[in-house]
Parts: sequence; C-alpha cells; structure tokens
Amino acid sequence: MTAQTSTPQIPPVARDTAKKWWRRGGNDLDDTKYNWTLTIVLIVLSLAVLVPLYFTVTMALKTSAQAGTGTGLALPSPLTLSNFAEAWELTNFGRAALISAAISAVTVGGLILLASMAAFAIAQNWDRKLFRYSYFYLLAAMFIPFPVIALPQIKFMSIVGLSNPVGVAILHLLFGLSFNILLYSAFLRSVPTELMESAQIDGARTMQLFWRVVFPLLAPMNATVAIFAFLQSWNDFMMPSLIIANPQWQTIPVVQALFQSQFSANYNISFASYLMAMAPTVVAYLFAQRWVMSGVTQGAIKG
Amino acid sequence: MVAMLSSPRQGPQGVRAPTGVLSRRSFLRGVVATAALAGPLAACSRGSEATTLRFYQSKPEVVGYFDDNIIAPFNTSQDAIHVTHDATTSLVASLVRQDPHDLVCNNYDNMAGTFVARDVLTDLKDLPAAARVQPDVQELVGQYATADRATDVLPYSVTAAGVIYNEALFDEHGVQVPTTWSQMQAACETFQAVDGVTPIYMTLRDPWTIQQGLFDYTAGGMIDVAGFFADLQAAGPDGGTAGSVNFRDTFAPIVARMLQMLDYANSDAASRAYFDGNTAFAEGDVAMYFQGPWAIGEIFNANPDLPTRTFPLPATDVVEDLAARVNLDLALWIPAGAAHPEEAATFIEYLTQPEVQVTYNDDNLAFTPTVDAPPVQDERIAGLQAAIDEGRFYQGAGTYIPNSIPTGNYLQELVLSRNGDQFLETLDADWNRLAQRTQA
Amino acid sequence: MSVTAPPAAVSATPADDAPSSPRARARLEPVYLAMLLPAVVLFTIFITFPAVVGMFYSFTNYAGYGTWDFIGLVNYRAIFSDPRILGAYTFTIGFSLVTVLLVNAIALALAIALNAKIKLKAGLRSVFFLPMVISGIVIAYVFSYLFNTTIPLLAQSIGIEALSTSILANESLAWLGVVLVTTWQAVPGAMIIYLAGLLAIPDDIYEAASVDGAGAWRQFRSITLPLMAGYVVINTILGFKGFLNAYDIIVGLTNGGPGTSTFSIAMTIFTGFTSGDYAYQMANAVLFFIITVVLSLVQLQVIKRRGVTL
Repeated sequence: MTAQTSTPQIPPVARDTAKKWWRRGGNDLDDTKYNWTLTIVLIVLSLAVLVPLYFTVTMALKTSAQAGTGTGLALPSPLTLSNFAEAWELTNFGRAALISAAISAVTVGGLILLASMAAFAIAQNWDRKLFRYSYFYLLAAMFIPFPVIALPQIKFMSIVGLSNPVGVAILHLLFGLSFNILLYSAFLRSVPTELMESAQIDGARTMQLFWRVVFPLLAPMNATVAIFAFLQSWNDFMMPSLIIANPQWQTIPVVQALFQSQFSANYNISFASYLMAMAPTVVAYLFAQRWVMSGVTQGAIKG
Repeated sequence: MVAMLSSPRQGPQGVRAPTGVLSRRSFLRGVVATAALAGPLAACSRGSEATTLRFYQSKPEVVGYFDDNIIAPFNTSQDAIHVTHDATTSLVASLVRQDPHDLVCNNYDNMAGTFVARDVLTDLKDLPAAARVQPDVQELVGQYATADRATDVLPYSVTAAGVIYNEALFDEHGVQVPTTWSQMQAACETFQAVDGVTPIYMTLRDPWTIQQGLFDYTAGGMIDVAGFFADLQAAGPDGGTAGSVNFRDTFAPIVARMLQMLDYANSDAASRAYFDGNTAFAEGDVAMYFQGPWAIGEIFNANPDLPTRTFPLPATDVVEDLAARVNLDLALWIPAGAAHPEEAATFIEYLTQPEVQVTYNDDNLAFTPTVDAPPVQDERIAGLQAAIDEGRFYQGAGTYIPNSIPTGNYLQELVLSRNGDQFLETLDADWNRLAQRTQA
Repeated sequence: MSVTAPPAAVSATPADDAPSSPRARARLEPVYLAMLLPAVVLFTIFITFPAVVGMFYSFTNYAGYGTWDFIGLVNYRAIFSDPRILGAYTFTIGFSLVTVLLVNAIALALAIALNAKIKLKAGLRSVFFLPMVISGIVIAYVFSYLFNTTIPLLAQSIGIEALSTSILANESLAWLGVVLVTTWQAVPGAMIIYLAGLLAIPDDIYEAASVDGAGAWRQFRSITLPLMAGYVVINTILGFKGFLNAYDIIVGLTNGGPGTSTFSIAMTIFTGFTSGDYAYQMANAVLFFIITVVLSLVQLQVIKRRGVTL
C-alpha cells in the first residue's frame, strides 16, 4: 500500500498521528477556527446520501395504501411496522439470516487466518521464487471474470459434495484471498524489520513470532479485512444462488431476490426487507469504522 | 440477477409476467410446506418404503396451490411415493450438477426448448397421458428447436392471451369488440376522442411487455408464426439473409402496424412498467391493455368490480385471421438423469386426471390442452375460447427467438426510435450470425 | 461478482526493498510452506481449475448441459463480427472511463473537505461512507423508484419539462443514470483511500506554504495533488477493473435498456447461461479477461513511470 512518489517524496509520518486520526475530528483542541462554509457545504452534499436512505426508511414504514403513491418522499402516515413483520415472515428471514451469518463468519475467520499467514510467509521469503510467484499467481485471480468460472464451479462443487453453504463460504474466502493478501503484504512492509529481528534474536520460533508479534500488529488490518470480507460475503447474490442446491439453505440476498417478483408491487414490504438485510452491514460498519480507517491509514503510510 | 440461471418468470422471454396473482400468503404456505417436506431427513422419517420424488414447479402464482390442492392430497392418498416441492432452485444449475429433479412442471419456453434440443429429457410418448393431449397443442413443443422429439414434454396448462378490455368503457361509448383491423382502428379513434380515456395502455419500460403484447399479437394476427420460424430454421446458415427467409420481408408490415398502434398509447408509456399498467387499467380509464391472464389476476386484486374481458387482437381485415397467443404455461418433463422416473410417471398419471388438471386450469384462468377438456367458464377469458377451439392460436413470435438475441431490448429501441428498418436489419443480422455459428 | 472493487484497495507488491529478513537463509523453514500452501492449493483447486475448464469450453459448442463438440475457434471468430458484443464493449469501457473520472474527482474533493477543519467531522465522515455497505441490487431498486417516479413527479409539479420523464427511459441519457448510481456507491471506497493518503501529509508542509503566502488553490496544486498522485492511480486501476464488471446496478436500473443502450459486457456474458449459448459467451468472457488484464498492465506501467510502487 505504499505509494512513494519519487518527487516529492512522501515524508514519513509518525505512526501514532495516523492511529489517532479519528480523534482529531470533532474535538479538535487547537485554536484555529472551524471552516463553517465548508461544513455547511458538506451538510448540504450529505443530502445526496441521506435522501435515498430517508426514502428507503420511510417507504418501509408506510402502509400499502400510501406506498407507491406520489413521489414517495412524504412522511409515512399512518406509520406501520407490520411491513417488517410481513417481510420477515415471507422471506423466512430468521433462517436465511442465520445461514448468511454463518457463511460470513467462516469467510471472515478463514480469510484473516489464511491471508495473513500467506502474506507473512511471502513477505518473509520474498527472495525465494516460489513465494514471489505464488504472490503474483494469487494476484492474477483478481482479474478473472466470475462468469468464466461459474459453470465449471457449479459442477465441481457438486462432485465434491459442497453444493451447500459450506461450499459458498469456501468460495467467498478464496475469491477474497488475492485482494486481502495484497492488503496484508502492504501492511507487513510497514512493520519495521528491527521488530522482527529483535523477536528472532529473542529466540522466538517462526510460528511464535507470527502469533505473538505479527498477528497482534496486524489487528487494525484484520479489522479492515474483516469488514470488507463481511460486506462482500453478506451482500453476495451470485455465488449462493448458483452453488447452493437445497432451497432451504439459501442466503438473504437470494431469498430476497426470489421474492422480489412478489414484492415489487408492494414497495413498502420490499423496502422493509431491504432495510432488514442492510441493518447488520450498517451496524457492523459503524462499529468497525475507526479500525478500518486506521488500518487503511497504517497500510498507506510507509512506516 | 435472478434471471441468470433460473427463473423463466424473470427472463424477458418469459411469457409469463414477472409476478402474478398469487397472494403472498399462499406463496408463504408453499415455502413453509417446502421447508417441512424437503428437509434432508424427510425421506427417512416417512418410513423406508416411501420413495421421495423431487418435484420442481416454480410458477410463483401457483406454488401454494400446488402444495395445498395437488401435492398434499396425493401424499396422503398413498404410501409409496412422497412428493417434495422445489420452487426456487435453478433448473440449469441442477442440470449442470447432473442432479436433476425427478419431475418438472414448468413453463415451456425457448430455454426449455434447448433441453429438448440438447437431449437431456426422457421421451414420454408411451405414457397414457401423452395420448390425451390435443395433437395441435403437442405440436407446439417441437416448434422451438426439434420437431422429432416433441413428446419429451407434455403440455399441462395453456394460457391464452389477447387484448384485455374494459367492458364498461366499451358499452359506455358504444364500441363493439373489434374483429378486423379497421374496427380496431375505429375503436381506438373513438376512445382517443374521449377526454381522460387512454385507448391502449402501454408499459414500454418493461421490454417483455412490448414483446408479449404489441409484437407477438400483431405478428400472430398477420402471419403464420410457426410456419415462418420453421422456414427460417430450415434455411440454416442462410436464414436472415436477403434472398432467403428473413425478417425484413415478412415482418415489415407487422412493424408498420405496431407503430400505428403506438399512436393510441398513453403519453408516458416510455417510463411506465408492468405494475403501472395493471394499476392504471384497474382505475378504469383505460380501454385496452395488451396483457395475458396473469395481469387479469392483478387487476382483479386491485379492483374486483371492473368488468375485465379479453378479445384476440385483429391485425388484418380478414376475420379468419383472428388468433390467440398461447403459451405452454405449465408442461411436464422428466430429466434424463432423474433418480425415480417410474414414480414420476405415476405422479404424472395423478396430475393429468381431469379432476386435477381441469380443476387446476379452471382455477387459474387457463385452458386444459386435452382432447376431452370442457370449455373454460370464466368470462374474463372466454372471449378467446372460439379461437382456441378452432385451432387459431400461435406461440408468440418473440418466444421463437433464442434468449441470446435480446428481442425485448430491440423492440424497446424500435418503439422509442420508430425506426422499423433498423430493427428488422438487426434481427436478421443477429439471427444469421447465430445460425452460422450453430449450424455451420 | 461485485460491481465495485473492495474499497480499501490501495495496495502494494512487496517490492525488492521488502523487509528482507536478516537471516539471509540458505534453508527454507518448512513452517513458511505450511503457511503459504493452504492458500495456494485451495486456490488452485477451487478457482484455477474451474477457470481452465471454463476456458476450454470456449472452444466447444457446449450449452452447459447435454452433449458437446469441439469446434475450435468458431466462437472467437464470431465475436469479432457481432455488433452487439462490440456495442457492449464500447458502452462498458466508455461508462467505466466516465465513472472512474467522476468517482475520483468527487472522492478526492470530499476527502479533502472531510480532512479540513470542519464541525461534525466524525458524523459527516460516517454519512459519506454509508453507501459502501449497501448491496448493489438494493441501491438499484431504490434509485429506480427515485428516477422513474419521484424525480418526474417533482419535475412536473415545478414545471421542469426536461426532467418530467424518467432519464432511464431515454436512450441517450440512461447511461447517465447508471453512471450516477454507480458513482454513488463507489465514491466512499475511493474516498477512504484518499483520506488515508491525506492523513499521511504532515500539517507543517501546509503551514510552511501558508507562511510563504501560498493560497488554498496553490497549496492544492503544489502540495496535495503531487503527493496524492499515487493514490489517484491506484483508485483508477481498482475502480476501472470494478466498473468493467458492472452488473447488478445496471440490471436493477435499466436491464440494459432502453433498447440495448446500457448493455454491459457482464450482462452479455450471462445471457449465455439461459440461451444454450454458454460456450460462445465463454469465448467472450475469455476475451474480456484478456482485455481487463491488458488494460490493468497498461495502467501499472503508468504507475511505474510515475515512480509509484504498487
């Protein structure tokens, strides 16, 4: 993730500045004046994000009689929560959510483990051809269009008995591998070599070095990898729809899309179901946001 | 998205509307029933002697109907076969997996036609049910790809589509149901002159609606659709070129007539979609609407009191040309790799008993394609009975064109640009390219 | 699969100056193999192998099921005379270029603004990040309603004739709708990367410039832009690659229409699955893969010339 421009050189920055970037917002203590014009401009611009969201939320709270009339921007009246109950029931949301959550959990856990170890091994052995070429081999996959693989993959997963959520989790994990090894490798470059050396001198074996020194260091990057892997896995439609053979085991996006034809006349119910599918991602993101930013930041700054 | 490997109801070629008349409750029941029946342990829990039959049927409007009125009675009536109902898995994916269903009861469209052409289905000609199918309906199966294997698929339910009209508006303005193109034009003019009435409501934002209505009806009313496509297929790699069979020569008058009818459409047709059409018609100010029985159900839900009727679109001044657009809405087939073909045959016998099949079709605004079926009772579709009885019906022209040619999108381009020449040129070129590639 | 590249995509190859271990080993510790091989082996089985099989089918007339014959280069030859496929390439590449420009301009501007001394900084950042977490399908459904119903109705009531019909129903404007919605979803990802880059620029550079009398524009031109060049290139590559694969948003918004004006390459490829035309579209997909890789390599060369390590 290091971006060095030759001229002018990006000056090295103290790492802790980056770590605390989020605290610099909101509660700045130094005495320079706030840029109020810019603040107002940004608030106005944020409407571009908030209006569609407002529209989605209010639509989900409307009755069928009110939904689909007018511009859709009016406040719900009367306000109803029954759309959520109905959408929950219709999509069998509870079961689908559990399956989606399980797939996402396996994807996220597996990715953090596999990608960080592979990146560590590659970074430590960059002088060896096997590792260097493995790295490029894994990167190339970022460019394979999914349709090329889709059909043989359906067939293969069926042959090995993985036409189920486990198979989807494995594929999500592997499709995320290239990008995340890339992220981890960039981060590992910013880890001072002295740190590794001192650990080595202390007699830490490689595995211990990884678990006790490197993996904890990777914490912000793990959070970044986790949130992006979660978003991708949770929102993915294509893979589960193709791979999972038993309709009982489908994930939220697929269940939702299959019912979309039913809902689309009833905007209020379909929007309620969108909101329910969206809720975990928004919550997860708001929680993980600070680590994501610091993870990206640390990756971006040459340590 | 859904359209990818599955779901004929979503594809632009899907003759059926992307949604339907099913109440959400009945869909829900279907899913719950599926959940209860299709669990991995279902087979064991019913005792070792019952064979589990995996039955695929995904027409959304009738998933619940099949569970409650067809599958449940069958399962309780005997112990040898236990039918489980799958409504969601992709048919193509299950074929790719080489783990097909035991019996499929689904829309027979161009995609299903490739199943026949690629020889992945079982020939059903020896089943007693095959003998009862009306021969002219059975023929429809062979029209998409290969005529010699037409008995791979047994027609079960035929939906007929024409012009849906508001009888109250027709009566109020003294308009008779038109049987010739001149009368059709006169009717349009009459309604055009009435303030606040739309003569023909069109939903051009949804390409499939242009294809199934305006295009298929006009073509079916003017030419022998099956004959044209048989010639086109027979022309092989020459099809679509000048000097051979092509769209330009045959379809130019059809396109001209389509464009004439556009003049009677609502002014906002370009940004209206299928649902808007149903809503608008239900409000009562639309005289005519080119949709099938699936829309009748939706309209009925929105306004049960509206006197909705149907007539076949007259596109020429010859009364004998009047014909209905039909669609093998449900047809039965057994994939070649099915685990239990004999049990599937038993279930087919049950499904095709008149008290099951005719009742199903009566309940769902459809025609029963058997030689001894009684006429339909529902007055909302009865206007098409005569055409069906006399064999004046056709499968939509658009349904003959493989999905790899985006006919619906081309039609949308046509109605927006009104450039008929370009449309026909594109169709010819695409057809020829496909023919050269697949038949060379 | 996804329309946009995962956002935090600034990334780097451990280049030759990577942390070379001090242990200049002659012997490879087996534990490193144990760490690397699971990833490589699983990857080969589940991704590479199916990809090779898929590529093989592009030389057949396979429908995805049933029988097939080997037909050599027929599919490839046919692609080059297929105006619809060429049209899809033209649209997709043009759409990607415009979207990449728009996304980068907006993301950079927003990142700079959100990095300035403003009130409500944390809250505003969260708001602008939000579109990133919503799935493309849902975004498309929501905007489809806004474009087709809300905007025309609003325009009618205030008498703006030009906007009173949906831009998605206009053959020459629908692409704009697709660009806007894709941009809406893609900006946060690029913005995170720019923010990270901006945080790496120490404040004292700007302070020194201020003391020298450089105005805001001058500071942007002389300090911010040159320092951000590397990030711009990275965002461009990742964004471009993502937009070339555009699928969900287009399907939900226009389904390729009106006419075929917004038919993307990915959509064209997927039509092969339902039409028995699988092998032909596989050939298309293989070509698409090659084009994507070539375009990315070209961009990588640009990076190298700029002296940025990736």
